[in-house]
Amino acid sequence: MIEARNLYKEFKTPVVREGRFSGIRTLFSREYRHKEAVCGISFQVERGESVGYIGPNGAGKSTTIKMLTGILHPTSGEVSVGGLNPHKDRRKAVRQLGVVFGQRSQLWWDLPVKDSYDILAQMYDVSPADKNQRLNQFAELLDLNEFWETPVRKLSLGQRMRADIAAAMLHDPELLFLDEPTIGLDVHAKVNIRQFLRTLNQDFGKTILLTTHDMDDIEQLCNRVMVIDHGQLTYDGTIPSLREMIGLPTSIRIKFRGAYHVPEDLDRRAHSHLFRVTGMEDDTVMIEANRTEVSTMEIIRIVGTWGEIDDIAMEEPEFEEVIRSYSAS
Amino acid sequence: MKLKSWLTLYRLLIRTSIRSRMQYKFNFLLAAVLAALIQISEFLMVAIVLHKFGAIQGWSIYEVGYLFAVMTLSKTLYRTFADEVHHLEKYLVSGDFDQLLTRPMPVLLALMPQNFRIMLGEVLQGGFILCWSLGGMMKGGQVSWTAVPSTLFIIGTGAVILFSIGLATATIGFWTTRIGELQTFTEDAARTAAQYPLSIYPKWMSSLLLIVIPVGFVNYIPSLYILRGELGAWVLAASAGVAIVCLAASLRFWRFGITKYQSTGS
Repeated sequence: MIEARNLYKEFKTPVVREGRFSGIRTLFSREYRHKEAVCGISFQVERGESVGYIGPNGAGKSTTIKMLTGILHPTSGEVSVGGLNPHKDRRKAVRQLGVVFGQRSQLWWDLPVKDSYDILAQMYDVSPADKNQRLNQFAELLDLNEFWETPVRKLSLGQRMRADIAAAMLHDPELLFLDEPTIGLDVHAKVNIRQFLRTLNQDFGKTILLTTHDMDDIEQLCNRVMVIDHGQLTYDGTIPSLREMIGLPTSIRIKFRGAYHVPEDLDRRAHSHLFRVTGMEDDTVMIEANRTEVSTMEIIRIVGTWGEIDDIAMEEPEFEEVIRSYSAS
Repeated sequence: MKLKSWLTLYRLLIRTSIRSRMQYKFNFLLAAVLAALIQISEFLMVAIVLHKFGAIQGWSIYEVGYLFAVMTLSKTLYRTFADEVHHLEKYLVSGDFDQLLTRPMPVLLALMPQNFRIMLGEVLQGGFILCWSLGGMMKGGQVSWTAVPSTLFIIGTGAVILFSIGLATATIGFWTTRIGELQTFTEDAARTAAQYPLSIYPKWMSSLLLIVIPVGFVNYIPSLYILRGELGAWVLAASAGVAIVCLAASLRFWRFGITKYQSTGS
């Protein structure tokens, strides 16, 4: 469905001159800043897969997606989506793609939501019957009815994202690209959008490639994950094996009211492998636990036998940091 | 996609653009009033120049008015349909150009109807000066009614030439992102210069305005024939030829420029 062969993208920007006529002087300037955004990425995505594409900011995620969708032309390398090259045959290729950029809307800002769908239907040659049938389906799954008549600029971020995803699917593409679809959304909106994407993938067999910073998106939606860092693919595989690799511990700080007692034979108890104590102070104990193996409630239950718990603070492993340390190793 | 559905789509996008602008009625009206005021003051400027100097190097007041009016109307036609080409910079700076590239239609066809301008002030001003100068020349027996269709024709070819210049300039933005200053030079300055007969300028400058930035073919060259019977009727064909060549070259350059689009970070 998607094939990237040795994709390489270098940005070359002229160094901007200061002062008068800076525009024209920049034009004739020979000084350039070079930046390699993507250096030699190859992968294949089969029909029906749901792939998460992750990595730190500036790693080259968006650049890759923009090359796959025909927005950017690679410096070298080739792309094929649904059998077509989006750079040589852009108009035909994008017809079979749905594209959603979380930071940017493709809807008509000043018009009611429903009007954007009319325009897109005309643009993609979708018959009125097909349009209505799909919109009814989307409206049900994404709750579009509550803001059907509202101008796009007055939508909340969550509403806008739902409207945008419906817009990207209106011409029933086989392949859906999403760049940070859940960025800035509240939990409720995230859940709603994930459900919809899961339905698209599992019930309708659509192929999905998404970038995100939200590990939950990946865990709940994707059966495969690719990690990019400094423009290179550093991991490509399943979620369980990634989790194993990055199963960094959550640190938990437990404050006790009054005295507490940590059993001396902790290492020999049945739950010993679930967490370990990393430090003890006056009234606090620090432990590290891998939360993929043990629930917070379980930890609280065990620790609660040591004394009277006053307060608990948890620090999740920073996903970005994990990816970075993983890439570095 | 058939031609008919392209046209339907194009009309729909233009209607959408107008409706979007109508959402801000006060701004819409204010912009219209301001544009009219600017046009009136520009007209007064020209009127004063013409009144003070009368003929310019053998060009009568009507002839200069004609040059001015043809340029204004050509520019108006270009800007009515393709104002967003002139404002490409904002799409490049914001990265909104991304969206246009994901549409299954030619990029220009997606870009141009984003903002369809109704330039009533310019049309009235240009139309008024044109009627006045043509009327004056007809009364004096310099031209006949046949000048009217020729004039409409060169307004059309002129719009194509101005559009091509605008498109080529905008395309440079794919390398430089910012194009405002370059536009001042290739679009505004060149057009303003060609509002007067090119014969008043030194040789190098009139050549520049005919060869490098061919604004001279919008009004000056064709009017040599239409108003003064110089050269020959082939001038009209030549103007159309220049328009077609410019259009083809700028479209080619545009398509090449798009492959150099860099988008923005997110």
